[in-house]
Amino acid sequence: MLIRILLLVMLLAAPGVRPAFSHEGHSDGDALAPPAAAAPRAEAHSDLFEIVAVVGPDRRLWLYLDRHATSEPIDGATVQVTVDGEDIGTATRASEAVYVLTNPALDRSGQRNLVFTITAGEDMDLLPATLEIPAAAAALTAAPAAQDLLSTALREPYMWAAGLLLLLLGMAIGRAAAPRPLPPLVVVEPPAAGTRPHALPSGAPIAERVAAAPAVLALAAILLVPVISRAQPLDAPRRQPDGSIFMPKPSQRLLGLRTGPAELGEASVTIRLTGQVVADPNASGRVQASEAGRIEPAEGGFPALGQRVARGEVLGFVVPIMAAQDRVGVRASIAELDALIVIGEARVRRLTALTGTVAAREISDARAELEGLRQRRAANLPAVTGREPIVAPSAGLISVIRVAAGQVIQAQEPLFDIVDPGRLWVEAIAFDPAAVAEVSAASAVTASGQALRLGFVGRGMTLRQQGLPLHFRIDAGAPGLAVGQPVTVLVETPRRTAGIVLPAEAVVRNPEGGQVVYEMPSAERFLPRPVRVQPLDGQRVLVTAGLDRGARVVTSGAGLIAQVR
Amino acid sequence: MTTKGYRHMNRRMLVLSLAALPLLPVTVRASNTRGPHGGHRTDIAGGHGELVAEGGELRLYLSDNAYRARSAEGASAQAVVLAAGKQTTVALAPAGAEMLRGQGDFTAAPGMRVVVSLTLPGQRPAQARFTPMDQN
Repeated sequence: MLIRILLLVMLLAAPGVRPAFSHEGHSDGDALAPPAAAAPRAEAHSDLFEIVAVVGPDRRLWLYLDRHATSEPIDGATVQVTVDGEDIGTATRASEAVYVLTNPALDRSGQRNLVFTITAGEDMDLLPATLEIPAAAAALTAAPAAQDLLSTALREPYMWAAGLLLLLLGMAIGRAAAPRPLPPLVVVEPPAAGTRPHALPSGAPIAERVAAAPAVLALAAILLVPVISRAQPLDAPRRQPDGSIFMPKPSQRLLGLRTGPAELGEASVTIRLTGQVVADPNASGRVQASEAGRIEPAEGGFPALGQRVARGEVLGFVVPIMAAQDRVGVRASIAELDALIVIGEARVRRLTALTGTVAAREISDARAELEGLRQRRAANLPAVTGREPIVAPSAGLISVIRVAAGQVIQAQEPLFDIVDPGRLWVEAIAFDPAAVAEVSAASAVTASGQALRLGFVGRGMTLRQQGLPLHFRIDAGAPGLAVGQPVTVLVETPRRTAGIVLPAEAVVRNPEGGQVVYEMPSAERFLPRPVRVQPLDGQRVLVTAGLDRGARVVTSGAGLIAQVR
Repeated sequence: MTTKGYRHMNRRMLVLSLAALPLLPVTVRASNTRGPHGGHRTDIAGGHGELVAEGGELRLYLSDNAYRARSAEGASAQAVVLAAGKQTTVALAPAGAEMLRGQGDFTAAPGMRVVVSLTLPGQRPAQARFTPMDQN
């Protein structure tokens, strides 16, 4: 039993080897594998800079330098370090905005007063910090907490497999190390030797098991040596028992975390409406046939979807279809007109020959009559032979085609829709007409997050399905929009409220569903702040409660902090 | 949410913020004000220190938490001065009941930063950052 417990303890410690496996492309003590919360660290900030100093497992001092207000990493700075008044030199750049320093002064345990002299371009600053260096190196590499081990193991199935293998190996060694019954030196009663089991019963004296312990301990030592010498403290961001979140600087750098100050501001009250993209009635058109007929393509065929057409362009022809009876009637009247035209022509000729003897009025009457007959014939003719051209009522892109060659259509059937993509409108529905009585500005966001600038066109005076329709013009050209696309319209009213204006990205949902922003009270700590939020436009929100002015708030990467467990 | 729920949440927030308080860096809690001698006063070594810079001279006035004068006897201090892009170290020695004084190779100018490491008798050295020439 003792052997198994020892092996179990050993296996539990084994995940400490993890960095040796998972970080095999990195050199030992790489900046991206920095110390855990337990690692000694100090931080300091001024209004310009924020610096975090961490003593790595290799006893080197790792420095992370950022702008204080924005948390933007500062690369290429010079950081000179003084320990207890003794200048220990300038830190060398290890990677982007990470600096490292080695000095024997850092090996002495106890409280160390550090002074950083930072030069970044034009900016210079002095920052004091106090660093507590623990006594023993072992304290630095103390076995990580059990829950960390468990989570590590869960994250890495290979570790489980390796652990299982080691367990089996240990059991095998345990079996091998168990004392075997020696052949009796003196032959005693045979039944006594015969009943002796292969292995010791569990109630057997412990002394023989203790004899096997040194072998197990040696194995444990062999396995633990790499853990002690190579282990880097786990550097996982974690949620603290107090609800705050510890996120070390390297993790912040990976997430591209940025912050901003919470400044009091004033913004208009906005109302959120649902809407959809519609076509500007002055820059779009619907092509309909005016009579029943058969569709024929124009010279170059039917226009294709998305093809740009000019106003007045012929898109096709409608050949009217007539009942046989109607057609006969028209033909008969044409034949009759033809006869009348022949008679009329003869009459005009005769009368013109007698000019001078015949009254001029008679001649002009005959001419007018002939002209009228010709026009009647011309009007009748297309009914049997002609076709009606379909022309584009406006310029734009063909957005809908509902025709096929030879198709017989009814009168008023829509054939094509033409939309000008540069001139689209948004139609929003307001269910509280009083709330949108005054509109000072408006914007819209598509489902994919594209922001649109809108100009107010007008509002209807009649409710449509309990809602009041409002029309907005899309001001800036927005590519990729389609008619009918749903959008969220944010209408600004002239009423104003005070609050803290933040980018919409800064507000995230906590697991309970409430809206929170993350405040950054110190360099590696984040506090969730439940807030009341009002949307301003597609990109900004107004925090009206829950946040104090002057707080440093995470503006980019807040969603990733919320994921930390 | 019910009133009870709010109260519950408030209490949790209170506990949370109290628990987080010791985690805040000292500089956040420090009282950064202008002192009676016209210098910059901030927390140092369990009390307050006010640093006045004039020409090439630094004066550090000590007071306790209740702003009563604190004896400078037996104290010593070292100041790292960053002024006009140049860093110098100035040693301060007691020069009065509550004052330490030192002179160095610098000229006090707005934007200067000073980190003072103060050692009071029988105590560990304590550090504080001063901006004596800036309006606080």
